[in-house]
Amino acid sequence: MKKIFSHIVLLSYILIILTPFVFVLFSSFKENNIEIVTNPWGLPSTFNFDNYILAWKNAKIGTYFFNSFYISTVSSVVTLLFGAATSYALTRMKFMKASRFIYTFILLGLVIPTGSLLVPLYKLITDFNLYNTHWALILPYATFALPVSIYIICAFMRTIPSELEEAAMMDGLGAFGLFTRIILPISIPPLVTVFILNFLGNWNEFVMANFYLSSEHLRTLPVGMVGFRDAFNTNYAQLSAGIVFSVLPVLIIYSILQEKIIEGVTAGSVKG
Amino acid sequence: MNKTFKNPLVYILFLLPTILFYFIFMGVPVFQAFYYGFTDWDGLNPPVFNGIENFKEAFGDSDFWLSVLNNVYFILFSVVVQLPIILVLALLISNVKRLKGFYKTAVFVPSILSTAVIGILWGFIYEPDSGLLNQFLAIFGIEKIYWLSDKSTAMISILITNAWQWTGFYVVLMLAAILGIPKDLLEQAEIDGATNWQKSTKIIIPLIRPIIIVVMLLSIAGAMKALDIVWVMTEGGPFGTTDVMATYMIKEAFREYQYGYGNAISVLIFIFTLVITGLFQWITKNNERIEY
Repeated sequence: MKKIFSHIVLLSYILIILTPFVFVLFSSFKENNIEIVTNPWGLPSTFNFDNYILAWKNAKIGTYFFNSFYISTVSSVVTLLFGAATSYALTRMKFMKASRFIYTFILLGLVIPTGSLLVPLYKLITDFNLYNTHWALILPYATFALPVSIYIICAFMRTIPSELEEAAMMDGLGAFGLFTRIILPISIPPLVTVFILNFLGNWNEFVMANFYLSSEHLRTLPVGMVGFRDAFNTNYAQLSAGIVFSVLPVLIIYSILQEKIIEGVTAGSVKG
Repeated sequence: MNKTFKNPLVYILFLLPTILFYFIFMGVPVFQAFYYGFTDWDGLNPPVFNGIENFKEAFGDSDFWLSVLNNVYFILFSVVVQLPIILVLALLISNVKRLKGFYKTAVFVPSILSTAVIGILWGFIYEPDSGLLNQFLAIFGIEKIYWLSDKSTAMISILITNAWQWTGFYVVLMLAAILGIPKDLLEQAEIDGATNWQKSTKIIIPLIRPIIIVVMLLSIAGAMKALDIVWVMTEGGPFGTTDVMATYMIKEAFREYQYGYGNAISVLIFIFTLVITGLFQWITKNNERIEY
């Protein structure tokens, strides 16, 4: 009996989570605002995809989608390469106090509220002539993701037994060979986790993308969506279709990789 | 180990890219914030050093204090309202056998989505005419409410959206800690005839105190960072009633061309965050890790 009560509470909560999505999904098929107002709860009268076609055309969602994908991928790859190399140096090549100091220094980045760097970073971006280029996002994204990535990767690398490397060293492998042939292949699980988390984080970032780019064709999906809302703010059926477009890919990725994602999030914060 | 590991050149090579990036894109902006924070600067003409003028201005600026207060609301809402809900949900999920995986996966969904898109989605829900919320309230004969453009409801509307997005994230963290408690401890309690309530309050909550503190710390840090949700939903309006420090900083810098003042606020966000999280860690410092 007690279990039934638990399920009722939990299912009600899930309902609170789901309702906005269902509302938007239904609205996206409805003909116009009038149908959304007169029939808010019901299924749409017709299942036409007109709103989707119009939203796609009006909102240039394809362009935004590509931009987001490109920026998120490049910056996550950079973080991964630098993060793995740094973690390897910090856990394996012990330069006494230097390693400890550098590790602590990098972790300091965890307490810097990155939002507060928006204005000073803007100056740097313009000084480097990066304003209104994708690099204005890729470089800060890659950098801001480094502290937590190094933290997670280091935690894993510390657990790799050194016997493996000693054996490989007998076979004549140098530091670079050890890194690419022994350490990296073993570290694939945490590297995948770090990559997914960073990719999602970059994919969803809004503020820097909003203020460091001005050209429409460079915009990322979140910024593009906000622009679309502001331009078509009275057409809620089309806006709903736009929201579905931008939410769907993330939901698909999540449904495939949910275990990895949840594992990564809990590993990152619970072990702190 | 072997000689290659003792060669500082190899060591430096592996570290250099990270340190360089870190220095340029994090270190330099932090120093610049401190430097330009002490200047009068419009972003175009050369900055003029003006001492602590910007900070004096901030402390006398009622709009700035309003934004600070809104960050405080974010913190209070997460700790006082959200945290108990998170705890209850995590305890309930940990206690059921069926659908456990489904609940864990489903509650997490909002926190993987873009805050900007969630802001748009909820903006639509709060919409006075076509929005879901007013249409729902109309059933009970409640008059139209202008959720995001009315001073009295705008802030709470944003806080609810923010809570909707992040509650599941913390539930999953807490759930991981609860599921990490050794089974025999709880089984023993059951044999001794403990009720679910007793099990939760006497065993589980004391054991997961460290993670409760981590969740509080993360929500405080998150509350200090709150920015995009406010920007997308209201841009700080109506009349600055929903401005947080970060949105106020952006407006001063990018709209009013007060870059010096904007950088000073940036420094203040930095200091306030460090003070609050530091203070919190100092208060809770006696919470060493619990060994089972």
